Amino acid sequence: MTKSSEDSPSRRTFMTVIIGLISAVIGVAVAIPILGTILSPLFKKRDIVWAELGKIDDLKKIEPLTPKFVPVYFRVKEGWTINTLPRQVIVVKDITGKLYFFSNQCTHLGCPLHWIPARQKFLCPCHGGMFNVLGKVVGGPPPRPLFQWVHKLNNGTVLIQNKFMDNPKDRGV
Amino acid sequence: MFKKIQEWFDERIGLTELINEFNGERIPARGGWAYTFGSLLAFLFIIQVVTGMFLLFYYVPYFPMARNSTYFLKHHVLMGNILLGIHLWGAFTMIFILLVHMSRVYFSGSYKKPREMQWVAGMVLFSVVVILGLTGYMLVGNENSWWTINVLDNVASHVPFIGGFIRILVKGGTETSVLTMQHIFAIHVWLLPIVVIMFIPIHIFLVRKTGEQGMALEYKNSKLSDDDINKWKHPDATVPFFPDQLFKDMIVALGVFAVIYFLAVYYGAAIGPMYRPLALNFAPEADWYFLANEELLKYFPGHGLIIFSTFLVPVLGFAILFALPFIDRGHERSPFKRPAATVLGILFLLLLVYLTLIGGEPKAPATV
Repeated sequence: MTKSSEDSPSRRTFMTVIIGLISAVIGVAVAIPILGTILSPLFKKRDIVWAELGKIDDLKKIEPLTPKFVPVYFRVKEGWTINTLPRQVIVVKDITGKLYFFSNQCTHLGCPLHWIPARQKFLCPCHGGMFNVLGKVVGGPPPRPLFQWVHKLNNGTVLIQNKFMDNPKDRGV
Repeated sequence: MFKKIQEWFDERIGLTELINEFNGERIPARGGWAYTFGSLLAFLFIIQVVTGMFLLFYYVPYFPMARNSTYFLKHHVLMGNILLGIHLWGAFTMIFILLVHMSRVYFSGSYKKPREMQWVAGMVLFSVVVILGLTGYMLVGNENSWWTINVLDNVASHVPFIGGFIRILVKGGTETSVLTMQHIFAIHVWLLPIVVIMFIPIHIFLVRKTGEQGMALEYKNSKLSDDDINKWKHPDATVPFFPDQLFKDMIVALGVFAVIYFLAVYYGAAIGPMYRPLALNFAPEADWYFLANEELLKYFPGHGLIIFSTFLVPVLGFAILFALPFIDRGHERSPFKRPAATVLGILFLLLLVYLTLIGGEPKAPATV
């Protein structure tokens, strides 16, 4: 016959420990797959693709220091779907003729920038960040200059990757 | 007949006794109307749960479809606009009343010993309800939702060390995608409501456990000093919760619900345009309760200071609020006898109102 916990204090301790252990084992066994599903996105690699922006000769014809907004369409795997992510590329030609491919996302918290021709500045409508036409911060809270898309030239066509240059923390997008 | 049914239950489970136990709690008599906010919040939460449950009959948490399913619910479902309206205005009212309830508790010193844990439980409820509001805003799936998701993800990414991971976890991936919406949906309709459903009983249980404590005006006849813990246990007069207090609770609930219903029917819930990632002239707007925070984000420029607006100031603010009963340990409860706390509280509320008002101003001229 088993003793009740009231007869023996050591029996009581034993039961308490076993109750605790069983709870812990079941708890951990359930928590592990839950943690797995929650943390799963951390182990997924970002789907990096190239998208066509346009012919380099056409892009070179734009006015210097006047931004041109050109949409690109990335076909990207997101979760269990493949979706088209439309994004704006701001093409700017500086006075030496060099082309820049900026993102239109504010580097502060990612709001869409407005180009204000009268002031020759990009303005962030969320928190008042300001950039000049070459992407330098000229006012407001943004911590860094405009993001530039990773790009390459292929047979006279400019290709854009859904990734920003020198952006180790993968901010924006 | 009724009597017989009652007896049948009493014999088995002691129903009358149980009901009396729940309803018979004695409440300090004088502050009756000031004590209605807590019940009002419980009432508003029930309204949110019930309306939300039936919104699920139509809602699809998939980014391109979410906004259209909400639109369908509003325009093509019989009285769907009222249901959606109640859910929206009920949420706004709930957050507003939460602030009122917290202010009442703060100014009347009701968080003081022995009610510290109750304040902490209340702060958990407050935090969760604000996140419920934000996630609800994201679920509409319109243009504002899209940018709110991105902006708040980026705010989260500024948490020191683990920010980048948090951002990926919240998004469910590296892009704002179907998985993002699914995550937010699960959090909004299941995870956080469960937390609220768990913490409301804890909050109420703690009220009852600590007994008939009230505001300073309940103790006009008491001759004990403020430092005497026994003073606060014995208000001058008490009334039973049912029907005296519940009567007032119900009148307030009816009044507030009438306002919500009016707003739901006449203003309804605005469903903005479908999100257009290519739009060049869109200015995202936050809900009114987030504008103060939004305004805060405009300050602290540059790489070194951004962490103040995205992390340090909000986290410190919440930490102070959570720890309030452990910071302010005096026994005085009357707002007039603790001027420092009262003045600080009023200044904080004024700052909040000021930031909200200027945070709501248009921030950039539209593109010409």
